[in-house]
Amino acid sequence: MPVYNFKKMSPVPSAPDLIDIVLMRTQRRTPTVIHPGYKINRIRSFYMRKIKFTQQTISERLSKMLTDFPRLNDIHPFYADLCNTLYDRDHYKLALGQLNTARSLVDQIARDMIRMVKYADSAYRCKCLKRAALGRMCTVLKRQKASLAYLEEVRKHLSRLPSLDPNTRTILMCGLPNVGKSSFMNKITRGNVDVQPYAFTTKSLFVGHCDYKYLRWQVIDTPGILDHSLEQRNTIEMQAIIALAHLTCSVLYFCDPSEQCGYTVEQQCSLFRSIKPLFANKQLIIIVNKVDQLPWDEVQPEKREMIEDLGRDANCSIMTMSNISEHGVSAVKAAACDKLLEKRVDARVAGKKVDGVMNRLQVFHPTPRDGVHRQAHIPDSVKQAVADGRIGSADHKPKRSRKGYAETVDDIDKNDEDATMDVSGQLKTARDLMWENGGPGVWAPDYREQYDLKDKDWRFDAIPEIMDGKNIADFVDPDIEKKLAELEDEEEQLLEELAAQRMGEEPDSDLDSEEEAAVAAIRDRKKIIKNISQANRSENKPVLPRSIRGRTKDKHDRGDRNKDVVKDKMERLGVDASIMIKRGRSLDKTRGRKRGISVSRDVEMDNSNDSPGTEISKTQTKKQRRSRSEAAKREASISRGHSRPRDPSQIGLHSDAAVEAAKKLEKQGRRMWEGGAGEGDNRKAVHLVRWMNTGKKRNGTHYCR
Amino acid sequence: MPQHEHMERHRKLHGRRMDAEERDRKKESRLVHKRSEFAQKVHGIRAKIYQKRRFKEKATMRKTIAMHNQRSNQHANDEAVADGAVPAYLLDREGVSRAKVLSNTVKQKRKEKAGKWEVPIPKVKPVADDEMFKILKTGKRQKKAWKRMVTKCTFVGDSFTRKNPKYERFIRPSGLRMKRANVTHPELKTTFQLAILGVKKNPSSQIYTNLGVLTKGTIIEVNVSELGLVTTSGKVAWGKMAQVTNNPELDGCVNAVLLV
Repeated sequence: MPVYNFKKMSPVPSAPDLIDIVLMRTQRRTPTVIHPGYKINRIRSFYMRKIKFTQQTISERLSKMLTDFPRLNDIHPFYADLCNTLYDRDHYKLALGQLNTARSLVDQIARDMIRMVKYADSAYRCKCLKRAALGRMCTVLKRQKASLAYLEEVRKHLSRLPSLDPNTRTILMCGLPNVGKSSFMNKITRGNVDVQPYAFTTKSLFVGHCDYKYLRWQVIDTPGILDHSLEQRNTIEMQAIIALAHLTCSVLYFCDPSEQCGYTVEQQCSLFRSIKPLFANKQLIIIVNKVDQLPWDEVQPEKREMIEDLGRDANCSIMTMSNISEHGVSAVKAAACDKLLEKRVDARVAGKKVDGVMNRLQVFHPTPRDGVHRQAHIPDSVKQAVADGRIGSADHKPKRSRKGYAETVDDIDKNDEDATMDVSGQLKTARDLMWENGGPGVWAPDYREQYDLKDKDWRFDAIPEIMDGKNIADFVDPDIEKKLAELEDEEEQLLEELAAQRMGEEPDSDLDSEEEAAVAAIRDRKKIIKNISQANRSENKPVLPRSIRGRTKDKHDRGDRNKDVVKDKMERLGVDASIMIKRGRSLDKTRGRKRGISVSRDVEMDNSNDSPGTEISKTQTKKQRRSRSEAAKREASISRGHSRPRDPSQIGLHSDAAVEAAKKLEKQGRRMWEGGAGEGDNRKAVHLVRWMNTGKKRNGTHYCR
Repeated sequence: MPQHEHMERHRKLHGRRMDAEERDRKKESRLVHKRSEFAQKVHGIRAKIYQKRRFKEKATMRKTIAMHNQRSNQHANDEAVADGAVPAYLLDREGVSRAKVLSNTVKQKRKEKAGKWEVPIPKVKPVADDEMFKILKTGKRQKKAWKRMVTKCTFVGDSFTRKNPKYERFIRPSGLRMKRANVTHPELKTTFQLAILGVKKNPSSQIYTNLGVLTKGTIIEVNVSELGLVTTSGKVAWGKMAQVTNNPELDGCVNAVLLV
């Protein structure tokens, strides 16, 4: 359960990459087509959207980075200090701060440029401003090249840090280089740390895990520490110091009295004294390592005395251990774990939280009520079964029927058990035997051993294929001849029955040839209908409702409900359709229109009838005729629905004159950009250019001007 | 789970493949062909970008080579050192061939000879009124058309307050007002962002000058106190002329060249 997991941070792109990402995203996620003929508002919003989108993408990206990277003030002081030594706190903060500034700069640029686009009066100006805006934003990003590269390196390193939980049960090894810290780590965990015979093989903290008392223990291997002042320590040593300073753990200080590590016992003791303040409040054990090289008893007494002094000073125990001979390894682990566990339990019991748990705990010690001895109840049937040996414990296994199974080891008598058992008492499998006798291809188990025969001696007998001139496979069944005779009898009987049936059967049908032809025709027609409907059904296209499907579409595809189609269909079925069609005609909606036209014709006729009677001038007659024809047209189009011009009063105007005025106004409004593509079009078409339209237009002079 | 430098660790444990070095070498030597193949294949905007990048790379390469060459041709000229006793004031002089230096001084002199008050953009395209102003319709029926809105960037002083709408003939939108200009010093070849003090001359029209319109070629006065320039009489100059070199309404910023 790692609390601190820095592996989730997403990669930080380099500055050119980031620019590419941002611009490509803008290109892909915003509309790309615009024409100068569009309304200027539309053009402006098109470009404003581009600028805004780019700014949003950039700030989104930068904010992601800022939130991804841990803030050193918020994380555990162990990690904060580790980051300080590994990546330099100031540099780290500066880089993040610069990203933050870049983000606000980009926001500001976008704000300013959008404000300018609002005043732009042409597509060209909008475009130039957009270009400038995007360019400036990208320049801001380009300036972050160094910080982005640095942060990417930090991210890579952070994500590869071992996931170390600062609050869990921890064992920590420390000491001079080459005293056997990493070897011990490899002994008790599966950390697989590199062990080499030179100093500073371990260059950073390594984490392994081991189990003790069903608990999970975190084991931390630190790089070796040299004995000098804190200022002189390098990054590698500082990591060990930080781990010692910030983790509450059980510390194992490794000593090497054999001095194979290259440092004298005095040096080892002085290092211990110099880092002693870091051991405060920790469970310390001094480990005397490499006792296989120099047993503790044979160490020079003065050196022994020095090490024991350390133990007395720090008030801690001394344990001997060897990674090579594995002497004392598990004892050291157990001691360290026990000490820490005890401390942690004490701390927990002393803490406030324990009250909440203790209040809820109550331990009962039940006292016996009377002298009656109450035993477990075992049903009689079970007792009986145990007695019979059908169920029971492992020492008397129940016998199951093995009928039909091949012989197994269980069935073999105790006598020949020696043969199949190994020296160690393990059962030999056929596979083991195969390897013993020369491997696959040389030896194979004899499956005949498992044959289940009446007499076991028959198992290995050879079986001939032909015996007394007959194939013995034919005589596997002893009653084969009897069965064959039965089969033949049955077949003969069946044949006889069939013949008897044929004799008494009637002829096929009692229809004459005409009727049969009719039946065939019906069947054919049915088949055709079925096929058509299946074909229609299997077509993958939208299904129209029946009411629409039935209407006439054109003369080639007349709908089902068309008069002629209905008539045809009904006549084919032998039904007189005339009444049906008559009734349908009376309900037909479209017939209303025809009546309307005919009515108007009547009116026209009336007019034409009475006009010659009165005396009017020629122009007046013309006018009358025109108005009449117009009225006729109007009448004709009334029933046409949408195309019919509406009453002035319906449009909201009081008279025809007002309609005319409105039309004129509309035209005038449009005149501003008529000829152009729209109101944003400043282009002057050729016919509007003055020099091409003024002056003489003689042959040969016009186009040369 | 790998800890720390897992790549190095893997290499340490398992080594690299036998032909790793050879593969690296081959990859490097094939790179030229790969590049040329790509350069021949690519077209469109990608080609432009690629060519520009390559051009830059090659230019830097050429420059570094040239730099090394220059260093080699400016070697100490041992023969130029006079034999025998030398007066004290000549003791620490080394014989260096001064060919380069000389040519530089000649160039410098030629430059100084050129006109002192030459303006960087001598010719300016005039800006017409109808391009500069947008007519605003006013009045209850929107039929009065005496108001104008300036459509270009302007400089408006700090103390400016807008007039009563009834009397305000020219509107300079606050979105198009500029306060600072990116001024390049032509000799130092460096650019500073300086505050604009005023518009001295808009070559298109006197009205534009009065309105403080910034177009290409406009002469503006900028605050150079940050640069620490000194006049011939020894005073610190704080206002200097500069000419606008771009179309601020298209770029959203004012670029100018200092007139020295």
